[in-house]
Amino acid sequence: MPREWTTATRNPHATPARQPGRRTVPVIRVQALADTIIELTLQDAHTARTARPGQFVMLYTHDQSRLMPRPFGVAGTNGDTFTIIFAIVGEGTRQFSTLREGDTIDMLGPLGGQAFNLDQPGDYLLVGGGLGIPPLLYAAQRLAAKPDTRTTAILGYRDTRYADTRMQTHTPHTHSITNAQGDVLTLLNTLEPNPNPDQPLTILTCGPKPMMQAVHQWAQTHNANCQTCMEQRMGCGYGACVACTIPTIHGNTKTCTEGPVFPSTTIIW
Amino acid sequence: MTTYTHSTIVAGIPWKNPVATASGTFLAEASTQYYDVSELGAVTTKGVSPIPWEGNPSPRTAESPSGTVNSVGLQNPGIDHYLANDLPQLKQLGATVITNVAGHTPDDYIQVVKKLDNSPADMLEINVSCPNVNAGGLSIGTDPTTLYNLITDLRKTNQQTNSSSNSPPTVTDITTIAKAATDAGADALSLINTLIGMRINTTTGQPILANTTGGLSGPAILPIGLANVWKVRTALPHTPIIGIGGIHNAHTALEYLYAGANAIEIGATALLNPQAPHTIAQELETLLDQRPALAAKLAAGETWR
Repeated sequence: MPREWTTATRNPHATPARQPGRRTVPVIRVQALADTIIELTLQDAHTARTARPGQFVMLYTHDQSRLMPRPFGVAGTNGDTFTIIFAIVGEGTRQFSTLREGDTIDMLGPLGGQAFNLDQPGDYLLVGGGLGIPPLLYAAQRLAAKPDTRTTAILGYRDTRYADTRMQTHTPHTHSITNAQGDVLTLLNTLEPNPNPDQPLTILTCGPKPMMQAVHQWAQTHNANCQTCMEQRMGCGYGACVACTIPTIHGNTKTCTEGPVFPSTTIIW
Repeated sequence: MTTYTHSTIVAGIPWKNPVATASGTFLAEASTQYYDVSELGAVTTKGVSPIPWEGNPSPRTAESPSGTVNSVGLQNPGIDHYLANDLPQLKQLGATVITNVAGHTPDDYIQVVKKLDNSPADMLEINVSCPNVNAGGLSIGTDPTTLYNLITDLRKTNQQTNSSSNSPPTVTDITTIAKAATDAGADALSLINTLIGMRINTTTGQPILANTTGGLSGPAILPIGLANVWKVRTALPHTPIIGIGGIHNAHTALEYLYAGANAIEIGATALLNPQAPHTIAQELETLLDQRPALAAKLAAGETWR
């Protein structure tokens, strides 16, 4: 049986701790990592100090006709700053791409009730695809600070390997593949399935759903704990609207406050 | 802690200020992380059904110009969970609570309302205008006879709690529906719910929402909500009205109060800024300081017009 971890239950009668609300933060750096992929560095001490890998922030455009926030997984932290990485896919992300150092942006977060659980010592396999890679960069950053873990990253790209350099700063065991060459399963199947049989194996995955489903199945056959970071169209991001649900064995479940990280065995694929 | 001096009265229930949350955009465990719920006039909880509802498939939300289209389909854990969790928590935090009641059939509504009899809920809002469920909701609220019969039955079931009927904007004449609700015993009216809308993904050619259509809310619907409140206030000079639709700052809240509402609810704007209901309540306090005639009418349970 794959290993599982338990999900903490909430006490409905407890008064929740007050969280910082929507706020305006400075843009520190804007860097293109590929043609349409941008890394944004923002200054927010609360996010930089408290965000856990898998958690996300909501960013708001300045455009009064585009009011809804967009969720982005935290890709790394440094001092009082944090980064997010996004692709320009629509008008909202195009507006974010025009931000420059010295500009400001409105944000909320960090959000996400369940982050990647990195407590387990042993081997970690980080399997990311496309724009699912950024949360794994942050997981790798945190794992690099844990001496009882060893991290291998398997990254799949449509074309440009935009995150390899950043992942290599966290782990030398970084492997990647582009669509023209194959997919992450191609790489996974070339690995020694259980390099350290005496060590527990934890898989963290984020990317397109079919990829994560294949990774989940690979984890099942290799007796690994698999944690999936799920994506869904979001409304508020903080649990009020109940728009961002995915089907799980517990019913329709919010990706924002009950995720975005789930044990892969709870997802109805 | 803000001190509020400009209260209002909605169907005999005192509110410390005229600002409440709108159903569907407030959830105790989420919203209480951002402000003190006892500082609002009231909070309206999500539609609650007799048994847990799983809601609609995802995607459930799509952005639209100055608004959002949603089709959650009233996912909720049911009245028993609500009575054991959300309601006691909110009352313990000092909130005035409006419980939104949902159903697919008249019997569903009756079951929920019966269980709310003698509960600490301050008001009930009967959801007869949700555009996202196949049965109940909008199909009740668009037919005056069905609505009259439902409210009459609910009134017999629960004599204690003041109830407000949540009327749909998408009817030929909203005043006919409003009169049917009040004739049957509704103490107040909540105007308006979302309007039916949709968005299409131009890459796939398919609707963005899994349920095809959803309810449009946000600043885009402000003028529609105002027109409906104005119209019903003209037809029913003495019925308490809670104005809802597109309120995104204290000035737009004020527009509803001038249109004849006794109080207002903040909906989609709370999804863009979790603290918005609290911020708007604070800003409205200042605007009412500057408008003593309006403030006096509201405090006396009357309306501007």
